[in-house]
Order: sequence, then structure tokens, then C-alpha cells
Amino acid sequence: MTDTTTDVPTTRPYYSGPPSQPGRSQPATLADILERVLDKGIIIAGDIRVNLLDIELLTIKLRLLVVSVDKAEEMGIDWWRHDPMLTVRERGLDEENRVLRERLAELEGGSDAAAEDGSGSQARGRQSGASSRKSG
Amino acid sequence: MPRSGKTGGVQARKATPETGRYLYAVCRGVDTESLRTVRGIEDQPLEVVEHLDLVALVSTVPLSSFGEEALRSNLEDLAWLETAVRSHDAVVHAASALAPTAPMRLATICFDDHAVRARLREWYISLTHVLDRVEGCSEWSVKVLSPPAASSSPTVDARPSSGAEYLRRKKAAAAERADTTESAVASAGLIYEQLSGRARASRQLPHQDPRLSGHEGTMVLNAAFLVSDAEARSFADLIGLLADEHLGLLVDGRGPWPPYSFAMLG
Repeated sequence: MTDTTTDVPTTRPYYSGPPSQPGRSQPATLADILERVLDKGIIIAGDIRVNLLDIELLTIKLRLLVVSVDKAEEMGIDWWRHDPMLTVRERGLDEENRVLRERLAELEGGSDAAAEDGSGSQARGRQSGASSRKSG
Repeated sequence: MPRSGKTGGVQARKATPETGRYLYAVCRGVDTESLRTVRGIEDQPLEVVEHLDLVALVSTVPLSSFGEEALRSNLEDLAWLETAVRSHDAVVHAASALAPTAPMRLATICFDDHAVRARLREWYISLTHVLDRVEGCSEWSVKVLSPPAASSSPTVDARPSSGAEYLRRKKAAAAERADTTESAVASAGLIYEQLSGRARASRQLPHQDPRLSGHEGTMVLNAAFLVSDAEARSFADLIGLLADEHLGLLVDGRGPWPPYSFAMLG
């Protein structure tokens, strides 16, 4: 729906279509693998209890984001501003940051810890035993 | 391929086990000989635990790094995590190339083979349903990215004459970005719809973090499709067609992969 003209330039800088040889697997990126191995697949509780909620990609994403938001801005990286998942247009960055910190705090199990304690580097030592996400 | 009836299990039943059995995937009708060369986590040999027609792929892991407490901190270590998920994925990949395979989520660990077999017994019907669903199919990933905003506007180079002018420009640039993103999101919706029509199942995943994926621009679609292997060729062709239709976007199609996104119980 973007291009209706036929005389578009022949260069296709943003095209990296499908593998030319189906049957040959195109490698997944680390992000793809993490996304699938951490977040998908069969959940059956083993004898070792582990709460992968702790490290779901959103958490990793938020942690990266919250820890280094100032640094990233210094470097001129501002992708989160136009990431549809994260865009909060009407609010300023401070507000956005606060919301993210709260979400991070929630994810890390201390919903009452709210903004004060959400520095992201304090990820350890939280309680995470309740992993009986035995689906069925 | 060793059938580990006793070895891996027995010593682990004692009071404080030092090793566990890491469960990668459950398959059906897999030729275990063909998996002989595949190694698991920490280069341990892959072994199988069977129950009726189900085959669990397992290997031994030390609980010093895969016990509850150790895992909790190891999983926070991105380098450790990367090694673990890549090993896990390698096993799943090898198996799914041979037979219907239901991948397990990372770090499914039992103390011994009896415990693994008990899981197979308990979840037999659900696992069978999953294997039925994914049999003869693979997962394909299609991502759509909107390219980074081109800073080609002629006014960009000139210094703003005032603070107000600077703010006005910033605002205009932001509005332009929002426009681009919105139209990209709309196109992505169409692409998803068309591909879904050719897939057995489809789902949208959260957009990826560019720091993990290394992508540039804005990801507006991250979708997974379960596609019959017989239709893989035409599905791949369709991705190509859609990429041609949407030249302003990056359409990144990858596959075939193990059906991670479509392996869930119940």
C-alpha cells in the first residue's frame, strides 16, 4: 500500500527476503533464539524450579533500557521513542522512564517496591521460587 | 545412541544429587542413531528416555550450574545464557530435522530418568497433541522493519536560528517519524494477514530489542508462522512477493525452524 507506482527505483536497500533455497535453514539471530528458547516451547515443571518469568525478554529489554537510558541518549540512540511497543507520545522521557521502572519493579516481584528500587542492577536476590507454571 | 535406563538416573536419586537430566525436546519416531553425533549442553552426549512412542532427548548437567540457586544467577548472565540457549537450540534443531519435535522451554531439568519418564507419562496426551499439530510443519519467522528516518531534509544541516526554531524542527521531525511508523504498521498488518492465509497457524511476537537483534529502524512486525513443509516453497515465494510490494520496508523472512512458537500444551 505504500508504493503504487511501477517505476520505482530498482534498488531494494531494505529487502532481504526469504531464503532462495527453501529447505536450507536461515540462521536465527541471538534475539530470535532467546525469544524462542526462553519464551516459547513446552512448559513442564521439572524437579529444578526455575522461574523464567524472571528473565523474559521484556525484562532484559527493560533492564537494558532503564540502566542505560542516559548513556544511550548521550550517544544519540533513541530508538525507544519510536518503538511502537514503547512509545508514550504525550509523556516526557521522565514519565516514560518512571513507567518503565515501575514495570520493571513489578516484573521483578516487588510490586510495592515501585520507583525507588527499580535500578535494574538489583535484579538478584528477589524471591522467585514460585515457578509452578505447570501448564495444562 | 545410548538408552539411558539406569546410568544417568540412579546416582541422582540419593539425597543431594550433583547432576540433573536436562530435557531438550520430546520427539516421536525419531531415528536416534542419527542423533548420535549431536552434543548437548557442556558438550555432553545426548541420550534418550522413552515412554511408549515418545522419545525425550536429555543430557546430564551439573547442578552446580543448573541447580535452582545457580540458575537464578546464571540466567542473569547474558553470556552464560547465550551459550545455554544455543546448545539447547542446536539439539532441538537437529531433532526437528528428523522427526516431529516438541521443544521444551529452557532449563527443564529433572533429577533422574525416572522423573523424566514420569513427565512423559503424565503429559502423554498433551504432548501427543502438540506433536500431531507440528508434524510435517516448520516455523517461519517474518519480521517487518521500517527503515531509520532518513535525515535528508535540507533544513537539517543548517543551524536553527533560535530555540523556538529548534523546537519547531524537532516537533516536525517527530511528527514525520510518527507518520512513517503508522503507515509501516498498517503495511505490516496486511503482510501478516496475507501470510497467515497460507500458514497452519500464526502468531505475533513482541518486537525485538535492537541491542539484541542488531536491527536498524523500527520493527513493526515480528511474526511466527507454522507452515507445512510441502508449502514451504510457496510460502517463501509469497514473502518475496510481499517484500517486492512494500519496497519501503525491510521484510526479513527466515526459516524453516523448529516449531517453538507453536509448541504449547493444552
